[in-house]
Amino acid sequence: MSVTLASDVGGTFTDVVLIGGDGRVHVAKTLTTPGDPAEGLLHGVEQVLGDAGVAPGDVGRFVHATTLATNVILERTGVPVAFVTTEGFGSMLALGRQARVEEDRYDLAYVQPEPPVPLSRTFTVPERITAAGEVLHPLDEEAAQEVAERIAREGVAAVAICLLHSYANPAHEERLAEIVAARLPAGTPVVASSAVWPEIGEYERATTTLMSAYVGPVMASYLDRLGGRLRALGIDAPVHVMESAGGVLPAALAASRAVYTIESGPAAGVVAAARLGARRGLADLVSFDMGGTTAKAGLVRGGRPGITHEFQVGGKGSFGGRRPGTGVPIKVPAIDLAEVGSGGGSIAWADAGTLRVGPRSAGADPGPACYGRGGTLPTVTDANLVLGYLDGFGGFALSADLARAAIAEHVAGPLGVGVTEAAAAIHDIANAQMGAAVHVVTVRRGIDPRGHTLVALGGAAPTHAARLAERFGIGRVLVPALAGVGSALGLLHADLAIERARTFLAPVGALTSCSAGAGLLGALAEAFAGLERAALADLAAGGGGAAVTRSVGMRFAGQAHAFTVDLPPGPITPGTVQRAAEEFYKRYHESYGIDLRDPAEVTTARVRAVLPAGARDLPAPAPGPRAAPGTRPIWLDGAFREVPVLTRAGLTGEITGPCVITEPQSSLLVPPGWRGTVDDGGAILLEAGP
Amino acid sequence: MTDDLTAEILRNALCVAAEEASIVVVRSAYSTFIVEGADAAAAILDARGRLVAHSLSTALIQCASLRSALPYVLKAHPAETMAPGDVFVLNDVYQGGIHANDLLVFRPVFVDGAPAYFTGTLIHVADLSGLSAGGMASDATDVYLEGLQLPPVRIATADGLVDDLVRVLAANSRTPDKLVGDLRALIAGANVAARRLEEIIETHTPDGLARGVADYLAHTERRMREGLAALPAGTTHGEYRLDDGHRIQVAVTADGRGGVEVDFTGTDEQVPLPVNSGFSQTHGGVMYAIRCFVDPALPMNEGCFAPVKVTMPLGSLVHCTRPFPGGGRFGAVAAAEEAIFAALSEAGSGPAASGILQAFSISGVTRPWLHMSFDLGGAGARADHDGADATGALFGGGRNIVPQAEPIEARLPVRVERVELVPGSGGAGRHRGGRGTRTVIRMLEDARVDTRGDRLLRPPPGAAGGEPGRPGGYYRERADGTREPLGTKATRQPLAAGEALIVETSGGGGHGDPAGRGPEAVRRDAAEGRTA
Repeated sequence: MSVTLASDVGGTFTDVVLIGGDGRVHVAKTLTTPGDPAEGLLHGVEQVLGDAGVAPGDVGRFVHATTLATNVILERTGVPVAFVTTEGFGSMLALGRQARVEEDRYDLAYVQPEPPVPLSRTFTVPERITAAGEVLHPLDEEAAQEVAERIAREGVAAVAICLLHSYANPAHEERLAEIVAARLPAGTPVVASSAVWPEIGEYERATTTLMSAYVGPVMASYLDRLGGRLRALGIDAPVHVMESAGGVLPAALAASRAVYTIESGPAAGVVAAARLGARRGLADLVSFDMGGTTAKAGLVRGGRPGITHEFQVGGKGSFGGRRPGTGVPIKVPAIDLAEVGSGGGSIAWADAGTLRVGPRSAGADPGPACYGRGGTLPTVTDANLVLGYLDGFGGFALSADLARAAIAEHVAGPLGVGVTEAAAAIHDIANAQMGAAVHVVTVRRGIDPRGHTLVALGGAAPTHAARLAERFGIGRVLVPALAGVGSALGLLHADLAIERARTFLAPVGALTSCSAGAGLLGALAEAFAGLERAALADLAAGGGGAAVTRSVGMRFAGQAHAFTVDLPPGPITPGTVQRAAEEFYKRYHESYGIDLRDPAEVTTARVRAVLPAGARDLPAPAPGPRAAPGTRPIWLDGAFREVPVLTRAGLTGEITGPCVITEPQSSLLVPPGWRGTVDDGGAILLEAGP
Repeated sequence: MTDDLTAEILRNALCVAAEEASIVVVRSAYSTFIVEGADAAAAILDARGRLVAHSLSTALIQCASLRSALPYVLKAHPAETMAPGDVFVLNDVYQGGIHANDLLVFRPVFVDGAPAYFTGTLIHVADLSGLSAGGMASDATDVYLEGLQLPPVRIATADGLVDDLVRVLAANSRTPDKLVGDLRALIAGANVAARRLEEIIETHTPDGLARGVADYLAHTERRMREGLAALPAGTTHGEYRLDDGHRIQVAVTADGRGGVEVDFTGTDEQVPLPVNSGFSQTHGGVMYAIRCFVDPALPMNEGCFAPVKVTMPLGSLVHCTRPFPGGGRFGAVAAAEEAIFAALSEAGSGPAASGILQAFSISGVTRPWLHMSFDLGGAGARADHDGADATGALFGGGRNIVPQAEPIEARLPVRVERVELVPGSGGAGRHRGGRGTRTVIRMLEDARVDTRGDRLLRPPPGAAGGEPGRPGGYYRERADGTREPLGTKATRQPLAAGEALIVETSGGGGHGDPAGRGPEAVRRDAAEGRTA
C-alpha cells in the first residue's frame, strides 16, 4: 500500500503525518509560516519523509486541511470582487435578508452591516430568463461589453455573476462570463452562480458565488504554489483538500469551489473525533480541538457530526457564525461547530486592573515567551509551563524562566499578584473561553453535554481537556494516541467526496404515470446522468471505484421546503420514484406527526460521489523504551503538589490522577479524581471519579 | 455550578423547542409568503398563560397575540375538558387574535393528566374569505367583512383533524388547498414543540421543569425591572398621527423602581375601517418599544411583560371592540411605538420616525391564486447614526421576511422586475434616514390588487432639524409605461396582464440639520446611492 501524507495547517503549528505501507505513522509539528504557509508545510513533509525513510516518489496521496478560506473571509483579505446581476436587482446584496433577530431587533443603536460588495463594484445587465428557463429578453451584449469595460477599469481580481433563474438556464451567465473574462487579464476568475450552486433563491446563490470568487483566487494561487513545491520535492501525488462537510476535494476543485473549503481545518477535527469514538463504541461526543491560535468544539450525536446547510459568514453571536439572518449566507454543507479565537498562543494582558486573555495571539512568530524565539508577551502556554503542566513541545525546549518573566512583567506586576497566581488565572480563563465554544454546540442548543465524551485533539487540548470537562460535568475524556496532531491523523482517513445538485421540478404523479411522464422521467434520468458525470469528473474518478448515491428533494406540491430522499441504484423508473415518494410520506409523518398523502413533487436532483480512502485503523504506537517515571511539582487547586510525570510512549495499565503524561506534541494533565486506562488503540480514556 | 448548568440547558431547550416549531411550520406551509419568507411565530406558554419562550423569527406582535389569546382558549375550553391530542384554533381579534387570516393554534401538553403547558403557532394563512382575497380589504367596515371569524374551537383531537370544521374552513377559502395545508403546518409545528416539551419533562421531571420555568421568568423579570429602574421617575407624553389624521396619544409613567405604566387614554376613537388595532397587537407594540430601552439581550418571556402595565381604552384605535375591524393594525401599532419613543426620549435626542411595513396582495381574476407580501420602509435616523435601510418593521424581523424574486416567479403568474433601494429616499439630516425600496411586479394574468400602507400621506418626520423621509406609495404602471397612483389603502384594483404594480416604501426621517453632515459622508452618500 502506498504512502499517504496529511497536513493540517493551523494558525501556529503545521502538523504533518505520514502513514507508510506498513501502517506505521510518523509525525512532524512545525511552526506555521504565515507569509507562505507552504513553507512550514514543506519543512514538515521533509522531516516525516526523512524519519520514515520514504522516497518522495512513493507518496501516493497528499491530504490537506487549511484554514486559508476562513481566514480570508474573517480577516477580509480576499481579493476585490465585482458583482454582476440582472438589471433591477442591483440592491440585492445590500438588501440581503438581514433579519433583525434577538438583541438586534430591540437595539435602537442598530447599525446595518456593510454589503459584502460596495455599490461601486456592483453592476447590472439587461437580460431576462424566466422561471421556466426560457429567454424572455436576450442578454444585451452591448451593455455587457460596457459592464466588462467598467469592471476592467475597477481593477478587480475576481468577478461573481448571478443572473435571475440561471439555475434553470445558465446560458446568459455563461455568455456574460465569457464577455467579462475577455476584458480582464488572463486567468482572472469569473465565477457564474450556475456553476457554484445552481439552485433557486437568488440572494443565497449570489452570496455563495460571491464568497467563492472572493476566496477562490487566494486558494488557487496557494494550492498552485503548494503543488509546485511538492513536485519540486519529488512528490507527484494528487493533492486533496478537506471540505467543510468532512469529505475531501481534488485541489483543482478546491480552488474553483473554494467556498466548499471554508471550514476545512475545523471540520478535520470533528471528523477525526467521530472516527475515534466510533472505533470505541462512543457515539455521543464533543470534539475539542485546541491549537495555538483557536479552539473549536463540535458535536457528534449518534456517531454523526452535525451538518448545517447554511453557514453564515460573519454572523453574530455564534462563534463562527451560524445564526440565521445575521451574516452573509453560504449555501454549502458544513460541519456544525463553534470556534473561539483562543489557544495556547493567546496573549494574556492586564486591562485596567482586569486580566484578559486574547484575542491577540503570539502565533508562530514570535510565539510564546517560553519558546525563546523573541516573544516577550505571556501566553496561555507560558502559564501552563509555569504551572508545571508542560515539558517541551515538539522539538522545542521551553524556558520556564522566560515564561515567568513575561507573566511577571505584563500580568502579575500590573495586577499586583504573584506569578503563579497569575498563571493559574490565565489557565482558568482559557478554560472558560474553551467552555464558551463547547457551550455553543451543546447547552445553547438545549443539549446536555454530560452524557457525552470529550475528545481532545490538538497540541493544547490535552492540557485543558479534563478541566474543561469538569466545567460541564462531562465524566469521560478520550485522548487519542498522537492527540497533538489528531486532526491531521483524521485526514488520513477522509474519503474523497463531492456533491452536485440541480433544481429539477416535477410532480411525482407525472413521473410515475406510464404515458405522460416518459419524457419527464427521461429528463430526470438525464439530469442524474449529467450530475454523475460531473461529479466523477470532479473526482477524476472515471475509472471506477467511486460509490455514487443519488437522492431527490421531495415535498408536497405547493410547499417550498423539501426532504432529501435517497433513490436506489439502477435505472430511474416509475417504481423507484414511487418508492421514494412512499419514503417521503413516511418521513413526513414521523417528523411532523401528520399523516398526509397529498400529491408530492420532486424539487432537486442530487448526487454524491465518494472515493473511499480505505479505512485502515491506525495501529497503536509501537511501545518505545519506557522512561522511568519522574515527579514534578504542579499547581493544583491552590498549591503546588509533587505528582508523577509519565511518558505516553509505552504507557499501559491504570492511570490515577493527579499526574502529567507527556509526549512530544502535547502534555496531558490528569487532575485529582480522574482515572484512566490505555486501550489497545493507544488512546487514553479518562473517567472522572464519583 | 451543576444546577446552573441544568437550568441553562433547560432554558435553551425550551427556546429550541419553539424554534423547531417555527421551522416546521415554515417547512410544511403552503403560502409563498410564509414558506419563502421564513416568517412563522411559535411559542411555549404555561397553563397560567405565561409566555415562557418564543422562536427567533417571531415578531413581537405575533408573540403577544399568542400570549393574549391563550386565556380565552382556556375560558372557552376549561383545562379539565381538554384531552391529550387536542388542538385548538382561533383568529378572533377580540380574544387576543389579530385578524381573520392570522390563525393561532394551541396544543396542550399534559402533566399528571392535566394541561400544564401549551405550544402555540401562528401564521398568516392564504385566504379565509372576506371582501378581498388574502384578507387585506381596506374597505372592510366591520370584522365580518375581513373574513371568517373563529372563536377558540377544537381543530384536532388524538384521532386527527376535526374534518367537519376543516370542511367549513376550506369552503370559506378562495385557495382551499393552501389554507388546509397552512393549517396542517401550524398543527405540525405545535405537535413537534409539544413532543419536545414532553421530552424535556421526561428529562427534567415535571417539578424540575416547573422550577426551571419559574426561575427563568423571575430572573428575566428581575433584569427587566433593573433596566426599567433607569428610566427617570415621572410621567412623559408622546403622540403620533396616522395618515388619516387620527391620533395615538400615550402617557408613560415610570416609578423609578422598575415599574412602568403605559396609558393610551386620550387616543382617538376606533373607526369602522381596518385602521384600529386589537389589544394584543397594541400590547405587542408597547413591549417592543419598551424593550428598546433595556438591555436588548434580555430574553423575551413573561418576565418582560410583568413590570409593564398597559391601559388601552376600550373602543379606541388601540383597542377595537366588536364589530370594528383590526386587520390594518400595523399603522396604529407603529404609531403607538413612535409615541412611546417620543415620550421616553429627551427632546431632540429621540429617533426620527421610520417608514414602516407596507403590505399588498395580488390575486387572480380568472383562477384563484394569491400573492401576499410586504416591503419595509427605511428606519429613522438616530442622534448618532444613520437609519438602517428597509428594515423599519418596528416589531423585529427585517428583510428576511420578504420572499426572493425567483421562488415567487416559480410559483405565481407574475414577474418581479425590480427590487431596489430608492436613492435619496432617506430623509436628509446630519444623520440620514434609511432608504425605502421600490418593487415592480408585472402581471402575467389579469389580477386584482389590495394595498395597505401608512406614513405615505404624512411621511415619517425628521427629528432635531432633520428632514422627513421621501413618501412611498403604490402605483399602477400601464403597459405603455404611464404610471398612475393607487390608493394607500386601495381595494381590488384591476391590473390587467402586462400591467405592473409598483410598491415604494417611505424612507426614514433624518436627524439633525442636513448642513451638519460632513463632506466625506456626503461624498460617500453619492457613491453608495444614498443620495440621488
